[in-house]
Parts: sequence; C-alpha cells; structure tokens
Amino acid sequence: MSADDGNRGARAGRGRLWVCAALAFVTAAYAAPLLNMVAVSLRQASSAATPGLDPLPMIRDASGRSLARTSAAYWSTLGLDAARNYRDVWSGPGSDFPTYLRNSMLVALPSVAGAVVSSCLAAYGFARLRWRGREVLFLILLATLMLPQAVLMVPQYLLFRSAGLVGTFAPLWLPSCMAGAFSVFLLRQFFRTIPAELDEAARIDGCSHLGILWRVIVPLSRPAIALVALLQFVASWNDFLGPLLYLNHQDRYTLTLGLHLYLAQQNQVPWNLVMAASAITMAPVVVVYAFSRRFFTEGAATQGLKE
Amino acid sequence: MPETGAKRGSAWGGWGLIAFPMAVLTVFTLAPTAAGLALSVFEWDGSSAPVFIGARHYAGLLADERFGPALRNTLIFALAGVPLSVLAGFALALACDAPWFRGRAVVRTLLFLPQIVSVAATGLMWRWLLDGTGGALPGALRSAGIAAPDFLQAGWWPLASLIVIGVWRQAGFCMVLYLAALSNVSRSLYEAGRVDGAGSWGLLRHVTWPQAMPMTGFLTLTGLISALQVFDLVIVLVGDVESPATATLNVLVFREFRQGRLGYASAIGTMIFALTMTVTALGLLRPRARAAGRGGGA
Repeated sequence: MSADDGNRGARAGRGRLWVCAALAFVTAAYAAPLLNMVAVSLRQASSAATPGLDPLPMIRDASGRSLARTSAAYWSTLGLDAARNYRDVWSGPGSDFPTYLRNSMLVALPSVAGAVVSSCLAAYGFARLRWRGREVLFLILLATLMLPQAVLMVPQYLLFRSAGLVGTFAPLWLPSCMAGAFSVFLLRQFFRTIPAELDEAARIDGCSHLGILWRVIVPLSRPAIALVALLQFVASWNDFLGPLLYLNHQDRYTLTLGLHLYLAQQNQVPWNLVMAASAITMAPVVVVYAFSRRFFTEGAATQGLKE
Repeated sequence: MPETGAKRGSAWGGWGLIAFPMAVLTVFTLAPTAAGLALSVFEWDGSSAPVFIGARHYAGLLADERFGPALRNTLIFALAGVPLSVLAGFALALACDAPWFRGRAVVRTLLFLPQIVSVAATGLMWRWLLDGTGGALPGALRSAGIAAPDFLQAGWWPLASLIVIGVWRQAGFCMVLYLAALSNVSRSLYEAGRVDGAGSWGLLRHVTWPQAMPMTGFLTLTGLISALQVFDLVIVLVGDVESPATATLNVLVFREFRQGRLGYASAIGTMIFALTMTVTALGLLRPRARAAGRGGGA
C-alpha cells in the first residue's frame, strides 16, 4: 500500500519534472530571439553575426587581443559600442528614427481614441438597447471578421485616393473608428455584466443614453476599455501593410516602415545596427505591455467572455 | 405602460448611438468589400474607364503559372501552421494550468510577447538566425561541419521557416485564451470522471478537450482566416521577390496592385475570400454555433 503510494508519488514527481523542463525549454525559446536582439544590438559589427546567445560578446582591443570580461576596459568598450550603434541608427544617413517615432505616435494615438469611442457607442447600443435589426446587425459586424484584407485593399485605396488622402495619416485613422468587431464584442459582453438597475437609476435621475454610457458604464468598464485601447495601440503601432500602401513619403513613414526601409537600403546587413533599430521600434510597445500585462493575459478585462 | 415608452425611446437611441460606427463600417469596409468583389470582373488600371470582361480574370488565374504555387503555399501555411499553433497552445495551457505550477505569470507574459512585437521586427530577428549569407544558424551548422540549407531561399525550407515562425507567433496567444477557457471548466466534471475511474488521460480526452472545444473552434477559425491572408511575414522575411517557393496569394494581390492591374488583384483577393468562406463552412461552423448558442443563452 505505502509502497504503491510512494511509487505513484515518484511517478507524479517525474511527470512534474518533465512538464517543468518542457515549459522552461519553450519559455527559453520564446525569450531567446528577443534577448538576442538586444544582445546583438550592443555588439561591434564584426561579431554581430556570431551565433550563440552570449549576451556579452568577445571584444578585441586595438592589438587584436580579446579583453577580459572583468576588466574596466571591456565594459567601457561595450558601453561605447552600444551607444554608437544606437546613435548611428537614431540619426544615421538614410534613416530618420525620431521622425518615424513621431509618425507612429501620430498614427496610433488618434486611432486609439477613434476605436475606443466608436466601440463604446456601438457596444452600448448592442448591449443595452432593444431595437429592430439589432441581432442581424451584430451578426453582420461579427461576419466582418471574415473579410480578407485583400478584397478590401484595392477599393479602400481608391476611395482614399479619390478623397485626396493618400500620403496622409487619415487612411490609417479612419478605419479604426469603425468599431472593430472584436472590440465591440468584448465591450458588449463586459457591459452586460453591469447590473441594469444602475442604468434605471441614472435614467430616473434624468440621464440620457449618452449620459448613462459616460457616467455609469464607462467608469465601471475601465479594464475592458483599457484592453480595447491597448489592442488598437499595438495594432496601429505594428501595422505594416497600411503604411506601406498609404505613406509614400519618407517624412511620413512610421517605425515599422522605416525599419523595413532601413534594412532594404543595406547591401551587407549590419546586424548590430538593424537589431538596434528593431529594439527602438519595439521599446514603446514593450513598455506599454509591461504596464498593462494584466489586461492582456490575466482576464481582468475578459471576464465578460466567461459565458 | 411606461415600458413601451422606454422601448420606443430606446429604439431611436439605439440607432442614434450606433449610427456613427456603423456608417464608418459601411463606408470603409462593407462598401469597399462589395466593390472589391465587383472589381474582379473588370479590367482596370485605376485611371481610365473600367472595362467589363466577365470571368476572364478567373480564367487568367488558371493559366497564371504563379497562381498554383501561391495557392499551394497559402494552403500549406494555413493548414499546417494553424493546427500546430492551436495544439501547441492547448498543450502549453495544460502544462501551465497544473495546480502545483508556480511560474504561470512569467510563462504567460513571455509567450504572449511575440503578439505585440511587430512583424517587421519579428522578421528581422528570424533573419538574423536563418539568413543564408550572414545568418547565425547556417554559420553554426557550417562550423560544425554540416552543410546548411539556405533556410530562406532553397526548396521547401522557406515555407517550413514561415510555418515555424507563424507557430512561434501564435502559440502563446492560443495558450492565453485556452487558460481562460480551462479556468471555466467545472471541477465537478473532473470529480465525476474520477469517480467513474478515468485516469488523467481519460479526463483529458473526455472532459478537458470537449470542454475546451468552443475555444478550439474559435482559435482555429480565426487563425485560418488570418493565415490565409498571410502577407507581411513573407515580405519581411524573404523580401518582395517573385519566388514560387514563398509567394502567397496575398503577396500576389499586392504585386498586381502595385503594377496597376486592379481587376486582376481583386480576382485573386476574391479567391482568398472564397477560401475563407469554404474553410468557415467546412465543419468549423459547428463548434462556433454551439459556442454562440451558449453565449446567447447567458
């Protein structure tokens, strides 16, 4: 009996060990490319393509001897190399990352505002009001998830071209104001978890629908709204096809497009500089993600989706 | 009596509130989509008057030697990559969901990261690793005395690389959504299963997997819809080149569009749309309908 228990315990322990090992491996496989990007961005050009995930590259001094990693010379050289890489990318020939950064902000922030406002309005309409055609329209909205960008791309381009908006940020802002199906769905489910008695009380106090939405629903739905805002921010920030289609002048390029252009200009890829450029592109999203991780992954905002 | 009044007021309020978002949706999505489908039976360069040519673009697709490989690449990418991502996500969620496992927050955070990294940066990270001339992996293989294939150029390797990177991007996302789904599975189901003598494999097969089915359907369907449109990953990984090894349907759309053959581009886009519809219809409607029915009941 006790021997059997012990056996089972040992087997469970081995199982746990396997699971932990597998998870550790997968996590490492996920972290490695990202850490590697930062590590490579600190290196000298000569060692940038060296394989291996050594965060501290070998550095040779002027006479070709490798410096000891404990020496002060090693660390000062590393710091200078890193600073030079980032400075070269930031304002090197053919690249203009300060402008790209500003443009990415100019694209992302109005898109976020548009997406939040329109999704809140639509979600309130779908969650709280009864009107003819509501269910049909909601299904149509969900069905837009299935529309391939490829069918949309050409006519949308012609639409914006005939409006004279190609080359401006408007084609990147406007579609995000259309209450994306996923955002509306998320908010609708969340709004439904808020007791309807609160609406009634506000209505008796003379609130209009807009008033109820603004004073009752929105303050209680901050996690879900934050998630919608973050998803839109990440989508706009990382959008590649949109800027590629609509932004035809380098002054208007966003970071993703600038990064692609930067790479396309190089004959021999200077990996250390390219990785520094990537790191610059990623840094703002990673910071936003770090502060808002719980909305993405811990379900604070998706509780409405749990049936 | 007061209820009817409130209802009438709500009806106008409902239309009023959603009028703006729906107008934007109609102008920027629904109308262009309809126009895009219609455009596929016209010959048009975008400036002169469009000429109606019927199904000639579709006949042209069959004769186009780039179409077959692009269709093949798109289908392989979607049908191999998406199930792999979903299954990997499920397995990871199971491992993470074990009650004794402590590092959940770290795993969840790290595995979700590829979702927030732009495709442009993702492509660069992987090119550093795989690039034929200066890449780290071919270099390492060569120095170990192994002849390294050109992972981004030769034969089937580029497509395989695309699938691997696609899975790398999606699996963590699937895991996070599966974790939410698993947290909803009632404990009593497991206890009942255990009373009936089910081992851990039996519980997995007969409780966890069926209970997670709506999520599986959702992830598979949305995954396939976006995988059939894969474009930017190809462009950033292998460049905007005419290559039957990597070109996908959406890459063809973009190339035709760039060259001003708008009708032909739309015809290829319509093929992607048709594929999406087929995939949606093929058995995937069932788990989704079940999930929607339950949502409606709640």
